[in-house]
Amino acid sequence: MTSEIFFQTLINGLFTGGIYALVSIGLTLIYGVMVIVNFAHGEFLTIGIYTAFWSVTLLGIDPYMSIPIAIIIAGILGAVIQRGLVQQVLDSHPLHQIVLLVGVSLLLIGVIQFSFGAEPKAMHVPYETEVIQLFGLRMAIPRLIAFGASLFISIGLFIFLQYTKIGKAIRAVSQSRQAASLMGINVNLIYMLTFGIGAAITAVAGVLLSPNHRMIPTMGEAYSVIAFLVVVLGTMGNFVGAFIGGLIIGLVEAYAGFYLGGDVKIIASMLIFIVILLFKPSGLFGRKR
Amino acid sequence: MGNMSTHSINNQNKLIQFLFGTWERTQLSISAGLLLLMVFSPLVIKSPYYIGVITLACLYAFIGISWNIISGFCGQLLIAHIIFIGLGGYTTIVLLNNYGISPWIGIPIGGFVSGIAGVVVALITVRYGLKLDYFALFTIALLVALRTLFLKWEFVGGAVGMYLRQETPSLNRMIFISKLPYLYIACSLLLFGIIIQYLTYKSKFGKYFIAIREDETAAAALGVNLTKYKTLAVMIGTALAGLGGGFYIIYVTYIDPTGIFNLGFNAEMVMASPIIGGLGSLVGPILGALVNKPIAEIIRANLAEARSGITMIVYGIFLISAVLFLPRGLAGLIQTLYYRWFHGITSTHQEGE
Amino acid sequence: MALLEVNNITKSFGGLCALRDFSIEVEKGEIVALIGPNGAGKTTAFNVISGYYHPDSGKVIFNQKDISNLRPDQICSFGLARTFQIARPFQGISVLDNIMVGAYAHTNNNKVAYENAMGILHFLKMDGIKDQMASRLPIASRKRLEIARALATEPSMILLDEAMAGLRPSETDEAIEIVRKISEKGIAVLLVEHVMKVVMSLAERVLVLHHGELIATGKPEDIVKNPQVIEAYLGESNVTS
Repeated sequence: MTSEIFFQTLINGLFTGGIYALVSIGLTLIYGVMVIVNFAHGEFLTIGIYTAFWSVTLLGIDPYMSIPIAIIIAGILGAVIQRGLVQQVLDSHPLHQIVLLVGVSLLLIGVIQFSFGAEPKAMHVPYETEVIQLFGLRMAIPRLIAFGASLFISIGLFIFLQYTKIGKAIRAVSQSRQAASLMGINVNLIYMLTFGIGAAITAVAGVLLSPNHRMIPTMGEAYSVIAFLVVVLGTMGNFVGAFIGGLIIGLVEAYAGFYLGGDVKIIASMLIFIVILLFKPSGLFGRKR
Repeated sequence: MGNMSTHSINNQNKLIQFLFGTWERTQLSISAGLLLLMVFSPLVIKSPYYIGVITLACLYAFIGISWNIISGFCGQLLIAHIIFIGLGGYTTIVLLNNYGISPWIGIPIGGFVSGIAGVVVALITVRYGLKLDYFALFTIALLVALRTLFLKWEFVGGAVGMYLRQETPSLNRMIFISKLPYLYIACSLLLFGIIIQYLTYKSKFGKYFIAIREDETAAAALGVNLTKYKTLAVMIGTALAGLGGGFYIIYVTYIDPTGIFNLGFNAEMVMASPIIGGLGSLVGPILGALVNKPIAEIIRANLAEARSGITMIVYGIFLISAVLFLPRGLAGLIQTLYYRWFHGITSTHQEGE
Repeated sequence: MALLEVNNITKSFGGLCALRDFSIEVEKGEIVALIGPNGAGKTTAFNVISGYYHPDSGKVIFNQKDISNLRPDQICSFGLARTFQIARPFQGISVLDNIMVGAYAHTNNNKVAYENAMGILHFLKMDGIKDQMASRLPIASRKRLEIARALATEPSMILLDEAMAGLRPSETDEAIEIVRKISEKGIAVLLVEHVMKVVMSLAERVLVLHHGELIATGKPEDIVKNPQVIEAYLGESNVTS
């Protein structure tokens, strides 16, 4: 592997990792606050990508313009799903939580498939093959935009959680539901909000992914699994961990892809997943939530 | 209960007592009744399509029983159970296509292979203390890894998968012109499953499984070797799943990694029936399968001209509704009614089992 | 040699030392009580003896076998049974089935286990509730079920962890009777208790734990007058009589 390929793969890995980071941040946020693994998480990415598709083909707008639309759709959907469904099983046995969310996942996939059909689709933009050269490395414009947006959103969300009143309320609930409610925080509202934010971020990741990306209704599963891996790797509930973990896995996949080939690279991630689950389930950043 | 002096009323009561005297008996009676319904359905149902639906419903019930033993009785969150169905299926088809081994032998071998795989997974899981969510995620990681492996493995056909070798119909190859023999094999499998499930339930290890589900810590203090019995539960369940997978492949004549090793199919084939019917009960998987498969098929065939995605929507709604409104499934509902209606007959019971 | 010999057990969690140099001996058929204020380390001692924790140093010897690093189910099979401070019934099954789980400890035969379980039910006067769902039991029955299950494993010694906590006086009297009957069968009893009436009426010997260390041992009537013991309990409202 030459140094040029090394750095090119690095860039590719980071760009992919940015998307993974966004999706995983959404998942870890939900887990951190509600201690529930969102088995329907990937479907919000699918919603995002199909929103972009629909916006471009039906409304004729640039996919990135559909980000607000995706945020609204996914955010509201997420909040409704949380309030109406997830809320009922927050204190139930994990089996019930898993089955409920698997059901939600199926429902969402089914609706998307019903609306758009099962055949693969792709949405094209005029600049999708455009590349800029930076430091001798080729960067596809859409991927560069995606990475930049991921960084921007992640940092923005971090600031939101650290410094705003609502953000602090969210963090309070994630530390102790009881203490937070004793302090007057409307815990149920926070739950809705968190799930909505988690869903919205993931949907945005979908939009960022959309240019020239193959779309099928079941594509979310792969991203769900990666998100599970990243969240465990970065420690469940740990925001920074999810971000870093996302980048790490993006890099792992990029290098594995180079050595093993595109369709098998996922095996590297799965091996990491299995190893982490067996040997350090509390993740890179220590304490299990 | 009025004047019971006549002989026939006594016999009638004895019969009712025999069939429905306890909730356990009632479940068995319902299971037997449903099975008989399916066995004799060809007398009433002539359409091969619907015979096929019933055949699959039987198979789903059998698969449901296999998962019920692991997740229902023993409480282990082995979510990606489809892994073991796929392994059984691939084993059977490889043995048939590549080595000409009859499915009558290949299917049991598929069960054996899946059982072994189950033991390996269980031992790893227990050794590393993977519980609940973590165990569930582990099985999902295995699913994806296995799918990727099979996608690249030329010996099993890679991404293209394997088609059952075209042969003239023969008993030996389990290839039949009519749909009926498949139905009867499926019914036999289901009968086998019902028996195994019941024997498990009545045995020492069955009680140990339930103890582990209810409270591992207390179970250990009572002498239950957690590793041994969790592994046993998984082994029985995965072996049965392997059998089911072997038959499934013979029936649908085709297997491919993406189609079989995926969570959506897992939800439909493994999870839906026991959840709807009642996970942990005896009759749940059977009841659930007979309710959800035919309804899903009817909806799919008749609604929206079989438009894509309807099946998933239906299953999604089923699963969500089951969790929210019927956490103990249809069996739980019937059980509650049972105790209200049959209270007079079952005078030895106050409440409970 | 004593049935149970605990030799100089030390157990720490993180920085906190829960048990320091703890030793205890229980002879066959004895009733011994382990008391002490909350947090003294009594339940930790039980958890070490019954295999849920492994000692950092020291040994647990039962029936001349070193059981220090064995699993709880192995220890049970050697004849050492225990109950839990907060009763842990198997909620989804009946009282009889709960006890049968214990009854299978030394047999694979359904009939043998069933008869064993029925015998225990009778012994503890629980015949009437045998088919009740464990989840519906009131606290006194749950505690009795704890004991019944443990007894079904045919132990030669039983650890009772606050078996009387939360009981009304009449229920406590019944429970004391049960412990006596257990002892009459030759089963050694080590009990952790806060209810002094129980300790006084049952224990042949009392050991007092405080901050993980033994501060006194002797006959019940002497222990109650021991100034160190009284001081350890000062401010402790858990000492009821």
